[in-house]
Order: sequence, then structure tokens, then C-alpha cells
Amino acid sequence: MTPVVSLAGVQLNRGGRPILRNVHLTAEAGEVVALMGLSGSGKTTLLRLLARLEVPDAGEVVAPPAGLVFQFHFLFEHLSALDNVCLALVHVHRRPRAEAEARARRLLEELGVGHRADALPRHLSGGEAQRVAIARALAVDPPVLLLDEPTASLDPARRADLAGALRRLAQSGRTLILTSHDDDFVRAVATRLLVLADGVVVESGDPGTVLTAPVHEATRRLLRQERVE
Amino acid sequence: MPNHWLTPLVALLLAASPAAAQAPLRWGADAEGGAPLVEADPRDPSRMVGFDVEIAELIARALGRSPQFVQVAFTSLDQSALRGDFDIGLGGIEDSPARRQTLGVSVPYFEFREVLTVRESDRSRYHSLASLRGTRVATLGGTLAYDLLRRAEQTEGLTAVSYDDDVHPYDDLALGRVDAVLLDHILAERAVGRTKGLVIQPEELAVGHYVVVTAPGQAALLAAVNRVLLAAMADGRLEQIFRRWKVWNDDQTALHERVRAQGMSAVGGSLLATAAATPVRGREALVRFTPQLLRAAVVTLVLSCAAMGLAVLLGVLIATGRVYGGRLMRGALLVYVEVVRGTPVLLQLFLMYYGFAGVVRLPAFVAALLGLALNYAAYESEIYRSALQAIPQGQLDAARMLGFSRWQTLRLIRGPQALRLALAPMTNDFVALLKDSSLVSVLTVVELTKQTQIMATNIGSWLVPGLACGTLYLLMSLPLSHLARRLETRWKLEGA
Repeated sequence: MTPVVSLAGVQLNRGGRPILRNVHLTAEAGEVVALMGLSGSGKTTLLRLLARLEVPDAGEVVAPPAGLVFQFHFLFEHLSALDNVCLALVHVHRRPRAEAEARARRLLEELGVGHRADALPRHLSGGEAQRVAIARALAVDPPVLLLDEPTASLDPARRADLAGALRRLAQSGRTLILTSHDDDFVRAVATRLLVLADGVVVESGDPGTVLTAPVHEATRRLLRQERVE
Repeated sequence: MPNHWLTPLVALLLAASPAAAQAPLRWGADAEGGAPLVEADPRDPSRMVGFDVEIAELIARALGRSPQFVQVAFTSLDQSALRGDFDIGLGGIEDSPARRQTLGVSVPYFEFREVLTVRESDRSRYHSLASLRGTRVATLGGTLAYDLLRRAEQTEGLTAVSYDDDVHPYDDLALGRVDAVLLDHILAERAVGRTKGLVIQPEELAVGHYVVVTAPGQAALLAAVNRVLLAAMADGRLEQIFRRWKVWNDDQTALHERVRAQGMSAVGGSLLATAAATPVRGREALVRFTPQLLRAAVVTLVLSCAAMGLAVLLGVLIATGRVYGGRLMRGALLVYVEVVRGTPVLLQLFLMYYGFAGVVRLPAFVAALLGLALNYAAYESEIYRSALQAIPQGQLDAARMLGFSRWQTLRLIRGPQALRLALAPMTNDFVALLKDSSLVSVLTVVELTKQTQIMATNIGSWLVPGLACGTLYLLMSLPLSHLARRLETRWKLEGA
């Protein structure tokens, strides 16, 4: 199968400091790739690079238009949940309003927040906002979905729900790339795991294998920190 | 009162001279465009020159006191005299029944004629008030000439335009903003000498007299002033002063003879025939002036709304340019904002109306509207700019990921949220604009504050007009303040 996403020898500096160094990554349709690493290891920058919000200083990025779900959601505060989801459908993809609303409602229902369609973002809980943000990203049907710390604002029960929803999205043929601190969640949802340390991919492979028998010191340190938390 | 702080010093230095044995004689007048009566000496602007300056000095000397000049706006001279800001007031102060009722008024010392000044090309067209039907005729507010014009508004169908000084009416006549000026002949002659293309019509529309005023109840001072004036008429000292300023004529010879023979009653008859009716007070004044105040309040409201609308539009454009524009545009807009915010709006209004009159001749209302709008646009743009920048970058990134163009992001996402953030401070600015709009009265626009001033001058008191005016401003601004508070609570964005 040809990869949907591929990074080759990617280098990115900020203020003269390397953030990502010689990063290689490919992902195929139906894959769920998890990125783990301590804060500042470059996970979020890697996602932003795939989202084309950052341009690499060296290396090659091949990625189709992606949907991005931010850690802090960044919903449009003046619009209801429903309007957040249909805005791009109506104004970018020129779908008729009724069709866009129907699709938006369906997506919100599927993600379990159909009853919050008319609520403004500031009245949503963290978990609800998270799922509205996913619906907004999915509305335009992107082949790749990028999620930055999707479990950060969820309690454990909701994490299991989200894992199920993400697996279903992958099964429908999408490529998912996400960052996380939660090794249980990564085990449950990811098909592949990359561990980053100081902008370098130090370990990668099957999540179960990597997390059970970490080879690199950075991964062990990461897991110790997870236990403490 | 530029020399106020000098007073103790001067008194100390002159302590030995007999003239300083008593307190200085404070004399009030308006030095703005008051030649040949009172004006700043062109060669040394710290000195006052003019025939009224010499008369004030003559009176002070005769009373054994040193003269001390007090600057008072012409239209405020009566109120200032009542407050006791000065001992004697002069400088083109006209005898009138209203003055005689409220202030101490001396014997008349100069007789003037009210004459029409027109552009040379209109010499045969505009020669009397009747021939000026449908035109705009300018004068100095609070004068006999203004009363004449107000009556002619009813009888001849012309429009009276009131100014705060006696120079700008003639400037605007030359510029074509008004079609005639009605004022005292010595002011007209001075203006015709100064400005090319103006002529004085021979017909005399009224006769008036200049007097010295004192606060009411200053009978001894008034009697002393009268004694000095009569003595100066008798020994020719007044004539010498008037001759020096080239304003002496046969009218003065006759006046001085009459005054010396009959005192105050020398001019009573002719004066009462031409001057305005006895002033009204209290409730009656309120009843009579209320329709005018309400009309002026409408002018204030229309002007403020239109200026704010324009300011909002320009402010949005400036803010957008400053956030999205290139380096050059951002720099140019920053200069505009800083220049406008760093200079007084009054100065901007003067420049807009008089300063640029050689380039573009704006009607007064348009100049007022543009002046306020351009000024407030700078302030509004700062509100929008900070509101635009308050929208989190994450939302802009999210919009970009969803495929929105920069323009769509501004129109659908950033702009609407910024507008909600800006609404409350904008409403506050509108309340400020409502009050700042009173400044445009310097451009001859009669809005609420100007109308109040006219009413106060007319009835000789600020109390009732001031309270009525304040009430009208509050009726306009309180609902807006209330709205601002409601919007603030309603639209407050969390975390933004």
C-alpha cells in the first residue's frame, strides 16, 4: 500500500534551536499512529508540520489536507456547536445549508454530543468541546485526522469512548495521527507508536511491544512519569 | 489670565509708587480679533493695544490704580462681570436694556453704526437686510447685530450665523460660506482693510454705543468711571485716543456733547428702539427656549450618530490595515493614529474648517462631521485592533485548517468576535463623542451646548439653561451607558 502521509529527513529549527531532527514517518490508510514524548520533545510541532501550519527547514513532507483537533479545541466562540461544525461546509465547500446541518447533526450524534448542538462553546464541558472539535474537523471529510492530546480533557470513562470512536474512524479508511501522554489510551487505540525525545524519534513499533519492553531510556523515563501521574 | 502669577511680584515692585497704593484695576476684555478695540500687539504679543486699552489705562490712572488685563471670551463678558472676575469690563461692550438690568453700565463713550459688508461682486445685489432673503448672514454672537439678524430671520427670511469672534465672519464671507456680515462699522472697516474683495454698504441699519460695565452694586466704582469718562470727553483726551486709532468722526462729537449734557438718558430713546426686548427669566425663559434647545439636541444627536457611524467604518478599515496590511501601510496608519490622538480635537476642527479652506471649502456641518469622524476613527481603530488581536491564534489556525481564506476568516470568525469585544468600549466612546460634539460650535454649528450658551447670554444666567442642557445630554447618554454595560456582560468571551 502507498503511504498516505510521509515525512523524510525533516528538520525544523526555531530561533536557531532544533525542534525536530531528521524525522522519518509514514502512515497508511486505516493506521492510528501515536506520538509520545515528554513536554518539549517536538510532538505537537510534528503534528503542526503535518497540518501544514509549519514549514520544515529541511526534508520532505507529503500529506493531504488534514483535519486538526487542537488540545485546547479552539472552537469559534461566537457560534453554536452545530455552526462550528457546518461553517466550513457552507462557506468553503459551498454545500447547501440544510445538507451541511444534517451532516453536522449526524456527526455530533455519532460522537455523542447531538444534544449539545445549540450550545455555545463556553457552555460545553471539556469532553463535549473535544468531541465538537473532532466533529468540526471531520465535517469536511479529510483523509487524515490529526489530534493533539485528545485525552487531556477527558475522564477515564470518556477516554474509552473516544478510543472506540477513533478506532471506528480508522476502520472507515482514515489515517489518524495523535499525540498523547496516556499509555493505556495509546495501547487501546494505536496501531503504531513513535517515541520522541529532543526532536528525534528514539523508538518506534507496535505500541504493546514498545510500552511493555522499552528499549530507550527516554521511553522508560516517560513511562515512569506516567505512573507517577 | 496669563499674568495672574505675576500679580504679587508686580505689586511688590511697584509698592513704592502711588499708583500701587491700591489693588490693581482688573479690566476684562476679549483680545481675540478685537482690533482696533483690544488686541495683542503684533510686534509684542504679550502687550495689549487698542483704543479700549488706552481708555482702561486712562480710567485706572485717574483712579490711582494700575491697570491689569483679564482675558474673557466676548460672549462671556457679562457672566464674568457678574462673577466679579474683573472690576470693569470694556472692549466693544454694547449698551442694552438687558445689561442695564443686570450690570452696572457707564455713560456711553463711543457711537457705532451697524453696517453690512458684502463681497465686491455682490455690491448691487445685497445692500439691505430685505435683499438678503434666503442667504446666510454672519455676525458676532451676543451683540446688537445678532439680535437684529435674529429678528430679520422672522421678517426677511435670512439665516443668522453666530460666531464667537469678529474676524472669522469676514474670512468666511470672503470664502463664500456666508453672503454678508452685519457688524459695527469700525470692525467692518478694519476687516475691509485686511481682506481684499469686501465692501461696506452705505446703509446704516442701527446705531449703538459702547459702554463700560461693572458688577451690579458697584455704585461707587461706576460713578468714578463715569466721572473719568465725562472729564476725558470734556478735555479732549478721549478724542485724542480715538483720533490716534483713526475712528474719530462727527458722530462722536455729537455723542460726547449729548452725554455731557444729559448723562445716561442721552442715548436711552434710540437704544431701546433698536435693541432686543427685555430679557425673560426662569420658567418663561425655559418655555420660550425649550423648542430651540430640543432642536439643538437633535442636531447634536444627528451629528454624533453620523460622525460615529463614519468613525466606526474608518476605524474598522484602519484596524484591518494595521493588522493585515504591509509594512508601509501599517506605518502610515500608525502615524495617522498617533497624530490624531496626540493633538487636540479642537485644533483639528479649526484646521479642517479654516486651515484647509484654501484647498477645500467645506460647509460647517460637513467640516464638523468629518472632523469628529476622523478624530474618533483613530480611537475606534485602536479598539478594533486590540479586539482583533485578542482572538486566539488557535482559532485562526483552526480556520486555516478548515480551508477558510484570510478574508473569510476575518469576515466569519475573527471580525464577528472582535466586534463583540469592541461593542462595550465603542459605546463608551459614543457617549464621549456625544459630549465632544459641543466643540463644533466653534465652526458656527448651533448644537446643544451652543444653543445653551445663546440662551444663557440672552437671559443673563447660566443656571436654568445649564440644568436644561445637562438634562438633555443625560437623556441621550444614560441609555447608551446602560446599553454598554449590558453588552459587556452579555458578550464577555471567556478566556479571550
